[in-house]
Amino acid sequence: MRDSMKNLPLGFEKGTDSTEARFKASSPQAGPGGGFRPGGRGGPGRGMGQAVEKAANVKKTLFRLLHYFKAAKKLLIPLFLSVVLVTLAALFAPNLQGDAIDHIDNHRWDDLIGCLIFLGIAYLVNIVFSLCQSLLAANLSQFIVKRMRHDLFKKIDNLSIKYLDTHSNGDIMSRMTNDIENVSNTISHSLGSLVSGVLTVVGTVAIMFYHCWQLTLITMFTVILTIVVTKYMSGVMRKVYRKRSKMLGMLNGHSEEMITGYRSIVAYCKEDDVIREFNETSDELTKVSITAEILGGSMGPIMNCISNISFVIVAAFGGFFAFHNLISIGTISKFIIYAKQFSRPINEIAQLYGTIQTAIAGAERVFALMDEPDEDNSGSVCMDRVKGEVEFKNVNFSYVPEKRVLHDFNLKVKPGQKIALVGATGSGKTTVVNLLMRFYPVDSGEILVDGVNIWDIKRDELRKNIAIVLQDTVLFSDTIENNIKYANPGAADEEMIYAAEMSNSAYFIDHLPDGYKTYLASAGAGLSQGQRQLLAIARAVLADPKILILDEATSSVDTRTEKNIQDAMVKLMKNRTSLIIAHRLSTIRDADRIVVMDHGRVVEIGNHEELLSLKGRYFELYNTQFSGNKT
Amino acid sequence: MLKYLKKYWFFCVLAALLMVGEVSMDLLQPDLMAEIVDEGVLKSDVGLIVRVGIRMILFVLLGGLFGVLCGVFANLAAQQFGNDLRKELFSKVMHLSFQQTDRFSTGSLVTRLTNDVTQVQHMVMMSVRGLVRNTVMFLGGIVMLYFQSPRFALVAACAFPFVIIFVTFFLRKASPLFAVVQKKLDGVNHVMQEDVAGARVVKAYVKEEHELNRFDRANEELCSTNLRVQTILAFMGPCMNIVLNTCVILVIVLGGISIKEGSEMKPGQIMAAITYLAQILHGVTFMANIFQIFTRAKASVDRINEVLRCPVVISDGKGETEAIKGKVEFKNVSFAYPNSPSNLVLNDVSFTVNAGETLGIIGATGSGKSTLINLIPRFYDAEKGQVLIDGIDVKEFTLNSLRGQVAVVLQKAELYSRSVEANIRWGDDKADPWAIKSAAEIAQADDFICDTEFGYHTMVTEGGHSLSGGQKQRISLSRAVLKNSKIMILDDSTSALDLKTEAAFFGALNRNFPDTTKIIIAQRIASIKNADRILVLEHGSVASMGTHEELMKASDLYREIYHSQLKEGGEGNA
Repeated sequence: MRDSMKNLPLGFEKGTDSTEARFKASSPQAGPGGGFRPGGRGGPGRGMGQAVEKAANVKKTLFRLLHYFKAAKKLLIPLFLSVVLVTLAALFAPNLQGDAIDHIDNHRWDDLIGCLIFLGIAYLVNIVFSLCQSLLAANLSQFIVKRMRHDLFKKIDNLSIKYLDTHSNGDIMSRMTNDIENVSNTISHSLGSLVSGVLTVVGTVAIMFYHCWQLTLITMFTVILTIVVTKYMSGVMRKVYRKRSKMLGMLNGHSEEMITGYRSIVAYCKEDDVIREFNETSDELTKVSITAEILGGSMGPIMNCISNISFVIVAAFGGFFAFHNLISIGTISKFIIYAKQFSRPINEIAQLYGTIQTAIAGAERVFALMDEPDEDNSGSVCMDRVKGEVEFKNVNFSYVPEKRVLHDFNLKVKPGQKIALVGATGSGKTTVVNLLMRFYPVDSGEILVDGVNIWDIKRDELRKNIAIVLQDTVLFSDTIENNIKYANPGAADEEMIYAAEMSNSAYFIDHLPDGYKTYLASAGAGLSQGQRQLLAIARAVLADPKILILDEATSSVDTRTEKNIQDAMVKLMKNRTSLIIAHRLSTIRDADRIVVMDHGRVVEIGNHEELLSLKGRYFELYNTQFSGNKT
Repeated sequence: MLKYLKKYWFFCVLAALLMVGEVSMDLLQPDLMAEIVDEGVLKSDVGLIVRVGIRMILFVLLGGLFGVLCGVFANLAAQQFGNDLRKELFSKVMHLSFQQTDRFSTGSLVTRLTNDVTQVQHMVMMSVRGLVRNTVMFLGGIVMLYFQSPRFALVAACAFPFVIIFVTFFLRKASPLFAVVQKKLDGVNHVMQEDVAGARVVKAYVKEEHELNRFDRANEELCSTNLRVQTILAFMGPCMNIVLNTCVILVIVLGGISIKEGSEMKPGQIMAAITYLAQILHGVTFMANIFQIFTRAKASVDRINEVLRCPVVISDGKGETEAIKGKVEFKNVSFAYPNSPSNLVLNDVSFTVNAGETLGIIGATGSGKSTLINLIPRFYDAEKGQVLIDGIDVKEFTLNSLRGQVAVVLQKAELYSRSVEANIRWGDDKADPWAIKSAAEIAQADDFICDTEFGYHTMVTEGGHSLSGGQKQRISLSRAVLKNSKIMILDDSTSALDLKTEAAFFGALNRNFPDTTKIIIAQRIASIKNADRILVLEHGSVASMGTHEELMKASDLYREIYHSQLKEGGEGNA
């Protein structure tokens, strides 16, 4: 085996240290069509462990978040006031409680009544304003989150196809779901706690000093102890939690992958291997989890311990001071409550630190996406009456710099002509469409519609004149009617029905329970591939464009359905400039001209008979189709 | 579910006992404090203060120790329990039949394995620690309060119903809304997902504005529902505080009256009473939360049990398949999917494929092609009739030996996030790099693999999203080629290849595996035209069977398919 390692076949020679190597998402083979991945799942495990993520540029992110808060000024000021009032009331209540006990101790009954009234008022203020605080915080967080989601979606809507093709959908989705959710939770829960925590600590110290500075200093000892322990513990915990969250992510990823790919596992009898692998990860996770949870769970008892020690210290020294008549019994009572009140916010702030860090990291990711450039919107020429002439002039293009996809591509299409593009996978057919739609910019050369460079035409204007029907049909979770009227919402019902008839979809629509009003749940998952395709054609019919693009619209349906679709396509192509991309040659025999592409170049051009008589690439392709797998 | 916990009952009991210890220590504190105040401070007995103080600190430390140890044992129980459950569940999922996975859907199985198990584990943890802690806290608090003064206990008893009413009221109001929030959240994600996936269409029809409006509507709905939940919950805390604060004032008043009347009541006792009250009410609120966790966990337990209790549908046979020749025979086979038993997908299908023969299967979508071949490796079992290999019913073989002799390439290529090499090696663990490479060459995958920077070591991203459809199919074809079994089934697994590549693959396959029985499902006639025989399937029945030429003469359906694909040019060439 060692010998064979020295002499490995081609493709194996790279060392195993390259395990990080991945196919580039933008590799030409994956092509632009590779952008249609099933939408992702949120990052596994994220948000499940309390692992803290660090944001790279906290200041800048906070500043931008502040921008969102500014818009909510009307909520922010009353919220702040409420927090202050709640905290003040919470601070004074123990003071009054202590006074009341003093009064009882000294049998000052009249003072007791007054004191109780004040206590009642303090409680009332606390209750009323803590209600206000919660309500305002809820409103604030929803207000901000709504705007953030809106802004983010608007950005996603305006991202270039290039960005969407080269970034994982799952990642984009998780910014909308996980990250914004994190920000929202932090705003509604943590912000108030943070402000009131700081206020409580400061206020408590002040009041304690006012009553008896000696006892305060003694109490401070436990405060320092709390801070030190919290700091140390959270440092250790962060490491373990992060590890756990990583393990959890691995386990979730593994199980998702294996369950989704379960059929192949069964087909290859790999159940036992896969289960063993899963068990190993699961055991590992359990070990880390036990450590993490024990550490996390110890936090409570340890804090409890410290707070009780401070209780004893206050009682013992308080008793001693009271004995020497330095303070009253009531003051001891106050100190006990204050000392308890003290450790709570410090503990909370320590925990909040993690939450807030995670939220800022989330916000940073959201902003990073928002900072992506918008799709190029240049061009100002309006095209009222497009004739439909399309011309590619010396176009060069590459998705990634070193791999050119189109070489000096030239093609002129007269208005109303039907052009078919054929060629092997990766020969650049779909790229032609991407360039014409302005989904990608050309590297050099020009694309002209009616003699105008498409980059000088208003982008929306250009696209309104072109309709595309894609291989992977895109339908929306809406009624059939709205899906057909997608391009032309103002269309009359008669026009819609006409479009459905033209596209041979009227028959199956009529057989649906609610006809055109049938709601397509989860983007038409209940329809067959062929039916979906027919709907997409109906949509294109109703759009009534001058230029039509059919990109491999029939590859995944059976032949009978295909015939149906083809008939619809023929009707649709009448009087329009059409570009057809197909694997199956039968689809394109009737085209005015057939362009045979190979590795980004036009190798042959002409109609079916001309190309056959050439006995070149087209002839070869055509014969493979006939003679099947005879080689 | 308890069965899995039984193994760790010792840890559970130990944790619970330790928790009782910790809480008892906590409960002693206010009482000791009252002693310090009333006996020590008021009677000027510094010695007593120090003595009781030291006792207090000892109790505190002991309590802390109990607490930490309780955490250790509770975690040992809960985490290991969760681990066992997870492993058991995963293993069960891997052994489910295709029917069962179809019914659950993969997404739901993943959720059960991850979220639901975590949820149940959380519940065990909460029961062992939280429930014990708060029950003891609650009961102990009442007892201690009673010892301070029966009157105080009465105050707590009066407050109790109010707390219960508030808690149930708010939970009942908010709980149904949680489901609504989830639905609205799905709505937002849905629009988002559709738009990211369908960006080309959105842009091509210039509908950015329209989509933004659609998103805003979903967003608005989510935010307003969220706000409703948060508003309801915002009232809960203040309401609980009303009860607690009223109790505190009542205790002070009652304590004052007692002292005024000259009873035994002391100020320290009032202070202790206030602390106990807070503990009791806190305990009640906490239990309400636990209740919520329980309801959620109950749903998870049910969902997990649903999977665990699935009966084994496909049972193992006994025979080995070491030396099969590869003859496949269907004898009057009928099949219907369990969710619609009246709708026969296969109806009395009979045919034979001889060893080494190539059979093409063609037919419209839904004619039963995939179902047919799924019966051979027993992904499903035939309802009526028999599927035989070399004259032996497939049910007689062990599943491993049967599936070891049948290589299936599925319609949807399934790849895993590991290297290309490891993905192909899946077909044969012991294969050396040369064997892998030559398998890839046959499957026409070698060229594009070698084109990449890291060749066979290139990592496939999850689900193979980094590869084009054709590349994925070719890798999964390599896998099947490497498996080198007697029977090879291709379920429309060359659909994303262009015709030339497909023809090259079939050519290489025939040259290298002349003795393998090949069953090929295809949409394109070109893919199967040269098969030894072609089976035309229509509505679950064999419409006709024969060579291409025979079918061209005898089968209208076949001719129709042929013409729709090749038009009249086919005859011109023939």
